[in-house]
Amino acid sequence: MFEVRRWWSKGLLQLIATLLVLPYLFPLIAMVQGSFAGDGWGNYRDVILVPGFFRFFLNSAIISGGVIVLVYAVTMLAAYGFSKLRIRFREVYFWLLLACLTLPEVVLLTPLFTTTQAVGLFNTYWAVILPLAALQVPFAVLLTRNFINGLPDEMFEAARVDGASSIGGFIHLVIPLTKPIAAAVLIFTLIGAWNDYLMPLVFLQSQDMQTITLVPQFFVGEFSNDQTKILASAVLTAIPEIVAYLCLQGLFERGLSAGAIK
Amino acid sequence: MTLSTQERLASAAGSPSRPRGGGRLQASGLPWILPALVLGVGLIYYCIGYTGYISTLNWDGASPEPLSVGTKNYSNIFGDPVFWKAITHTVLFFVVTFVVQTALGVVFAVIMHSHIKLAVLYKVIIFVPVVLAPAIMAPVFRQIFAANGQFNWVLDHLGLGFLAQPWIGQESTSLPVIMAITIWQWTGLTFVLYYAAMSQIDQSLIEAARIDGAGNLRVLWSIIWPNLRGTTVSLGILSAIGALKTFDIPWLVTIAGPNNSTQFLGTYIYQMTIQLAHVGYGAALSIILLIVALVMAIILQIVARERTGRR
Amino acid sequence: MRFPFQSKTALRSLAALAVASLAGLGIVGCSGSNQGSAGSATSGTINWWGWTPTNTNEANDFIAAFNKEYPDIKVNYKLVGISDYQATMRPALASDNGPDVFDLSPGAYVQQFGSYAEDLSSAAQGALGSDWKSKISSIAVDGLSSNNKLTAMPVGSTYAGSLWYNADLFKKYNLQPPKTLDEWKKVCQTFASNGVGCFAQGAAQEGFDQDTLQAISNSVEPGYWTKASKGDAKWDSPQIAQTLTIWKDLFGSGIMQKGALGAQQYPDINNAFLTGKYAMVMMGSWYTQYATQNAMTQALGSAGVAGAKPFPILPMQFPDVAGKGNTSEMFGDADYGLAVASKSKNRAAAETFVKWMAANPKGQQVVADRLDTTSVLKGVSPDFTTIKFVDPAQQSGPVNDYLKNASSVNEHRFALLNSDIENAFLAAAQSVVGGSATPQAAAATLQQAADAAKAQNK
Repeated sequence: MFEVRRWWSKGLLQLIATLLVLPYLFPLIAMVQGSFAGDGWGNYRDVILVPGFFRFFLNSAIISGGVIVLVYAVTMLAAYGFSKLRIRFREVYFWLLLACLTLPEVVLLTPLFTTTQAVGLFNTYWAVILPLAALQVPFAVLLTRNFINGLPDEMFEAARVDGASSIGGFIHLVIPLTKPIAAAVLIFTLIGAWNDYLMPLVFLQSQDMQTITLVPQFFVGEFSNDQTKILASAVLTAIPEIVAYLCLQGLFERGLSAGAIK
Repeated sequence: MTLSTQERLASAAGSPSRPRGGGRLQASGLPWILPALVLGVGLIYYCIGYTGYISTLNWDGASPEPLSVGTKNYSNIFGDPVFWKAITHTVLFFVVTFVVQTALGVVFAVIMHSHIKLAVLYKVIIFVPVVLAPAIMAPVFRQIFAANGQFNWVLDHLGLGFLAQPWIGQESTSLPVIMAITIWQWTGLTFVLYYAAMSQIDQSLIEAARIDGAGNLRVLWSIIWPNLRGTTVSLGILSAIGALKTFDIPWLVTIAGPNNSTQFLGTYIYQMTIQLAHVGYGAALSIILLIVALVMAIILQIVARERTGRR
Repeated sequence: MRFPFQSKTALRSLAALAVASLAGLGIVGCSGSNQGSAGSATSGTINWWGWTPTNTNEANDFIAAFNKEYPDIKVNYKLVGISDYQATMRPALASDNGPDVFDLSPGAYVQQFGSYAEDLSSAAQGALGSDWKSKISSIAVDGLSSNNKLTAMPVGSTYAGSLWYNADLFKKYNLQPPKTLDEWKKVCQTFASNGVGCFAQGAAQEGFDQDTLQAISNSVEPGYWTKASKGDAKWDSPQIAQTLTIWKDLFGSGIMQKGALGAQQYPDINNAFLTGKYAMVMMGSWYTQYATQNAMTQALGSAGVAGAKPFPILPMQFPDVAGKGNTSEMFGDADYGLAVASKSKNRAAAETFVKWMAANPKGQQVVADRLDTTSVLKGVSPDFTTIKFVDPAQQSGPVNDYLKNASSVNEHRFALLNSDIENAFLAAAQSVVGGSATPQAAAATLQQAADAAKAQNK
């Protein structure tokens, strides 16, 4: 973007970048430092030794996986429909969907609770997966719709002339071409699902269905609060997300750059 | 078939709601968006309807005989000084966090596009806060901004010791701290989206400007920034909704205090609904939030479209 | 993509939604169709939800001890953090899949969730005889009763209004625990000149602010706070205005730590005190646990100090800050009690468990030895032959006296207040310190909140 040819301007830019990044690094260092205070690695050992730790990890993975699959499927269909197919009152539907972003989670708890009870989903993974997916879909559709908008109509037109149905267009064009944006949706959905705490707590009764976000609670008491182990569990909880970001980073940026929000 | 000039322009601006291709493909799109609508509308709209109904009650959330009070909750809200405090904070918060995040996001994106060393490391550092749950970071920030915390320690060592304050312990500085933490957390998202948008800018435009003798800042202001408008508008909508819902950070760091100085709609709804068991009042606040959010989003959308039209 | 519930017809889903909305209001729940059942008293599976015991291991220790007597009752404990307790319990209790046993504490929780609980008076009578009230600490029973209904059987009680101090720091600077406001200020000056923090409190939260306010008020006029809480005296009185004036003075005269309004008692202040940064802290009977070698060592690790030497802590009375010669008595409540959900399908087994925890000497001994809560069954006290103090010579006498004193306390801590008034306390305390309200004006807002709450309940 910027042209920096001379050594001193290169150095200056590097310096500015470093100075700007430092404030972002500072709290992260404080966090990691805090997680090693006191017992050092012992904090991490204690976190891993929380009864059922790996079970919680697995539950989080199951729930996040379910949410991601559901959000992906629903989002791709909807984004394709919104972008390339004929819909009367298209914008009305779109805003109906976006409005779902605005209610705070705490307001949703009671009605969702009664709903999950009424349809017999309480204490199943679905009780968490469905509402979490519902909350993630609007943002994902916003991203993906803009991405598909960027794909030329001619391509779909050509496919139709060749005799492909709209389903054919979806399978042979949308699915392969949207891989990059799918990576972005995956990251954001993973963050949303993995970090959620209240829904699993409220909608899952069994202790062995609880998620990784519950682990810090083992170190918070009414009259005690083991900060070092809470931070250690935070670091452990964040690792899968950071790994996912690193793995998908290339695809992710490509996905966004190929015509998402621009 | 080629795109019309108007479509090209609109495409460059990235207006997210521009109808496209509707007339060309015959199949109806309704079945395609149905699953999303069922999931969203089915689950969330039921909640909205339910909340709307609760908002007409005087109810503690447990008693079997809630009292119907009509619109009294709403009229009480408009006379509630804490509500207006929350609204003022929300507006201030939105303006400051949005402007700063946008500026930082653009600057980071430009720098990361300029072939500097360690760019991947910098990108990860800026993005990691997006991933971390606020619940985890809250105690860390409470420690950092405490009277004897690391922030004052840094000020001391920079020779700025006279600036040291009990940052979250006084009304005058608690809101800026909340803003700073929010900016810390969400710049990564802003950055990533701008970074992506910039890689789409036609390099020949920039080359041409350089040949005309434009410097770096000139290019940033006249070429890059105008091309990012679509992203800016979308981020504006997301930040506005985010500001209205703000809950985690002020609640966990300052418990909306001291003395309501970091009270937001999201925290006030939580306090009313959960802590004080004024479930009807909390529901009415939620409905107001919903309406304000939608109106704001639609206004932003319309403003964006008008600007696009004028160009 | 197929979801399990999509196989049902749309009509049935709609009907389900309609039922759900009714159930949400408790209309269906209270019509009698969903009442639970008693089941067997000696077998079955019960779910227990609570914020305390604060870790699952501790709860499982209780359950294991219980299972020695009742091997056929399986108890599943689910820990729900106290900050999320209300958000979680409200929908859970309204549903048919909520817990069989749940924690309750006096005040707001009893008011909000007591209607979902069985009346346990007859269970208490069954366990302890017709004079059961005389066998457990009465202050604990009062707070958990509502309209003559015992919503939960008290398991432990807590007492507040005292300070704890770091005995090593006082010795090092050759100081005595302050008895008056002036002495307090002087002690703080000495600490400050040596770079040690004096007194710390998490003034961002209402609960701990109230403790200090009530303690000050008890120095201004003993018993006035309780009278005002009951509605027999006014909050906008000179006594309360003076209380708030002294409260403000604590901040202005260098007693209260800097930035107290932004600090939370846990973890901020607790960790600061345990790492020796402050000499005194506003804590109650629950802090007794840190007088012991084990808990103190563990707490130091939690505060992030490796290999630190545990130091002895000692309780002290709240200084006579009003200078009227009154001793500021402590006050207390049930820490928590166990309630049996009316909708439980295993009520009898649930009652068996609750009775064992609350009224059985074996259960109460397990509770007492934990020291984080004070056992309520008379005749049960912590076994200090098995629990080791940090410095037995220095601590054993004062700590035992302290616990003995506490059990004779007859003023309530939170039981008489509702959440609206507590919220008003926080606002008043913070606005007085912040300077946006005078003590008189703040006292007036308290009375307004109390009047509004009264009108609401009529």
